[in-house]
Amino acid sequence: MSVPLSQMWAIASYVIRQKLAGRERYPLVLMLEPLFRCNLACAGCGKIQYPAQILRKHLTVEQCLAAVDECDPPVVSIPGGEPLMYPEIGPLVKALVARKKYVYLCTNAILLKQKLEAGLFEPSNYFSFSVHLDGLRAEHDEAVCRDGVYVDAVEGIKEALRRGFRVTTNSTLFDGADALRMREFFDTMMDLGVEGMMISPGYSYSKAPDQEHFLRTQRAHDLFSTLLSNPKRRWKFNQSPLFLQFLMGKRDFECTPWGNPTYNVFGWQRPCYLMQEGYAASFKELLETTRWENYGRSSGNEKCRDCMVHCGYEPSAVHHTFASWRGFRDTVQATVTGRF
Amino acid sequence: MTDGATLEGWTPEIGKGVPLEEVIDKAFDYRGNVTVVKTDGSETVGYVFNRNRDVAVPFVQMFDADGAGPISIRYADIRTIRFTGRDTAAGNSYAAWLRAKELAKTTQHPEKGSDPAPSRGA
Repeated sequence: MSVPLSQMWAIASYVIRQKLAGRERYPLVLMLEPLFRCNLACAGCGKIQYPAQILRKHLTVEQCLAAVDECDPPVVSIPGGEPLMYPEIGPLVKALVARKKYVYLCTNAILLKQKLEAGLFEPSNYFSFSVHLDGLRAEHDEAVCRDGVYVDAVEGIKEALRRGFRVTTNSTLFDGADALRMREFFDTMMDLGVEGMMISPGYSYSKAPDQEHFLRTQRAHDLFSTLLSNPKRRWKFNQSPLFLQFLMGKRDFECTPWGNPTYNVFGWQRPCYLMQEGYAASFKELLETTRWENYGRSSGNEKCRDCMVHCGYEPSAVHHTFASWRGFRDTVQATVTGRF
Repeated sequence: MTDGATLEGWTPEIGKGVPLEEVIDKAFDYRGNVTVVKTDGSETVGYVFNRNRDVAVPFVQMFDADGAGPISIRYADIRTIRFTGRDTAAGNSYAAWLRAKELAKTTQHPEKGSDPAPSRGA
């Protein structure tokens, strides 16, 4: 596990404080989407299909910070859309770092080198680029439906590392993914010097152009078992080892949709980052008026049936770590040994 | 959505086997602009991003065609909704990409950066 100790401690102490306060539902990572506009149109993405006037909209920095202050999570993830196309991305990141939030800027990295050269960001222990890469060159360029993106992203990663930034990767896996090629990909990312990798199966967005390659539960377990059953010591994952065990089918968790709440130009999204069943005007309203019992596998909701995505289940894994000594022991064991 | 049916162009008549609540749900799910026709005869064109009927006064929220809003409209004030804008989730950009890749392979002239799928909003 490659999360810095200071970040681990910040999250651990936050979770313990929530538990001591008796809070049943609390956020871990705010998914802050300042815009939906993107410079790619990936086959598995259902986030960007909107009319032009919606794609032109973006949140103000003040709106973003008000959402962060209300929700007050230890970690803020900035996806989108492509956040490097957000005109205020520099000031937003600076303000979040000043609030001592751990910030992950999720980018396809097409514009990364250009923005770094423009001096938009400063390295910080609180700030990491999370570069979207779904595999090696052929696989990634196919996933994002454009040739040359992998090369651009790798150039961006190198430049960010050269300038002293924290860099992680995030990879979405679909049906048909080649486990051996992904293992090669892990090696390549480690060779590049990224701090850690995040992996997750894709969610079957009803609006995504490609509806045929979303992973179903058993196939996801098979794929992640093949990928991770004999991990190399040098591979570093920037996520909970218990979540990785969940992906392998070694553990079962229930979804924690409020763990990664989503805020965007429409408001607070119900119930989660992936499903759009409506919007609340405040985080409080989201927590208090969403019918949480209608979501997650045990609810029988068919939209949740095959979902194993990190935004619902990684908070569950973190919760499990601090829910019992056994959960804590298992997490430490997996972290220390590097075995899942 | 891939090659599935789209609601683009649908002009439902409320009451003839089509309840208003169902049309509102479909408008909420629709990834294009719609025209909300109110009971007073006025019309608002835009994108419906929210609806809530679990409150005392059910309402929809939308941004108009210029992006202004959010505009709230009560269910009770809506006569019907016409699906007048392009469905941005319809079509099949992934299939177009695969076709172009195949074509590039067969013609032996692959072009870096060729992208049959339009970038969104760029």
